[in-house]
Amino acid sequence: MEQIFSYLPLMFEGLEKTIILFFITLALSLPLALPIALGEESKNKVVSFIFKTYVFIFRGTPLMLQLFFFYFFFPIVLNIRIFDDFQTACLTFVLNYAAYFAEIYRGGMNSIDKGQYDAAFALGLSKRQTLFGIVIPQTMKVILPPISNETITLVKDTALIMVIGAADLMKMTSSIVNRTNDITPLFVAAVIYLIMTFILTIISGRLEKYFSRYDERGE
Amino acid sequence: MKHILKMENIVKEYEGNRVLDGVDFSIEKGETVSVIGPSGSGKSTLLKCINGLVKITSGDMILNGSTGMVFQHFNLFPHMTCIENIMYAPMKVKKISKSDAEAKAVSLLEMVGLSDKRDEYPNHLSGGQQQRVAIARALAMEPDLMLFDEATSALDPEITGEVLEVMKKMAKDHVTMIVVTHEMGFAREVSDRVIFMDKGKIVEEGKPQEIFQNTKSERLKNFLGVVLNDYVPQDTK
Repeated sequence: MEQIFSYLPLMFEGLEKTIILFFITLALSLPLALPIALGEESKNKVVSFIFKTYVFIFRGTPLMLQLFFFYFFFPIVLNIRIFDDFQTACLTFVLNYAAYFAEIYRGGMNSIDKGQYDAAFALGLSKRQTLFGIVIPQTMKVILPPISNETITLVKDTALIMVIGAADLMKMTSSIVNRTNDITPLFVAAVIYLIMTFILTIISGRLEKYFSRYDERGE
Repeated sequence: MKHILKMENIVKEYEGNRVLDGVDFSIEKGETVSVIGPSGSGKSTLLKCINGLVKITSGDMILNGSTGMVFQHFNLFPHMTCIENIMYAPMKVKKISKSDAEAKAVSLLEMVGLSDKRDEYPNHLSGGQQQRVAIARALAMEPDLMLFDEATSALDPEITGEVLEVMKKMAKDHVTMIVVTHEMGFAREVSDRVIFMDKGKIVEEGKPQEIFQNTKSERLKNFLGVVLNDYVPQDTK
């Protein structure tokens, strides 16, 4: 038992990386997904093709492969290394998750009744006002459950970055296990991941409730 | 009298279908015009051409002023309370202050008889109440011309009255309005002029008595024969 406390500082060091990756990915991919979603819906066929291809590639290949690609293939081809392992992980995760979130946004926007656009138009609202004042707020209710889902997946996906050597919680844990032949750190790591997903579940539940406040009664 | 709207030889085609086939139409300030006719006669398309929701294929249109529209399915913004629905466009489009918008919205809610619902969300109201809020929302932009696109067709018969009452009040106050409707009672009693459309054309036009008592065309006679026997054709879109 005492030994666990000696492992903890190292594991927390890894946890810090995990949490930073998690927040950077969310903070950048959530907004980045909006122009991607709008690009996919663009009436300009070239624009929509480019964005759809982007989403197709990032959703259609394993995240681990994308990590390898950006960490090994890119620097070798360009013969220059711009990002270290952790920065590469952040970049890959942001690009990957933006593709998933874009699809969620798109589905949400398509669920808005056409009458809402007609009403906004008839009142003289601009396209921008319609998007940010009418469409997106209504979309929130629809997109929150799938976004919460992806967010929980993200917590677990962060463990993938150990494949390019970034020192996250998973990497730290497995190196302790390798060094000491003691598997208790794996259980500790599992508990830490569970705590993180548990917190997210509570937050998403609250948000869903907030954005459903205008629902019909008696559902 | 000044024309608010003048349309000449308006044609609208959808994929080869002529939905409007050479319509001439105008309305003066303060006039209430009802547009009647069977489903698919082009009534709703005519309204949508007026406010630009639908682009006309050919023809001339002069619109002196702004329009407001009331829809069959209300189309209130469900994430806003009633008063927010009414205040939103004046604040965003006309850039009037929040307090002015609120004062205006309060008086409009009073006019449609829903002062007590100001902070309710639309989905918590009945259809008739929602439509009255939608009328208030359109009026908040102070349009020169109000367009009603089958405003009572989606309502249960027993609650169409409350919406028609508000529309009658507006007609009495000389709000300029074009009312596409299946409510023959409203067309007969409230409007200054009635227009009968069929197959994308205006077939007959005149004061309510001329239309309902001295009917000329066979088509209008047939139509009235059907609808006045309490048969209300549903406009399927």
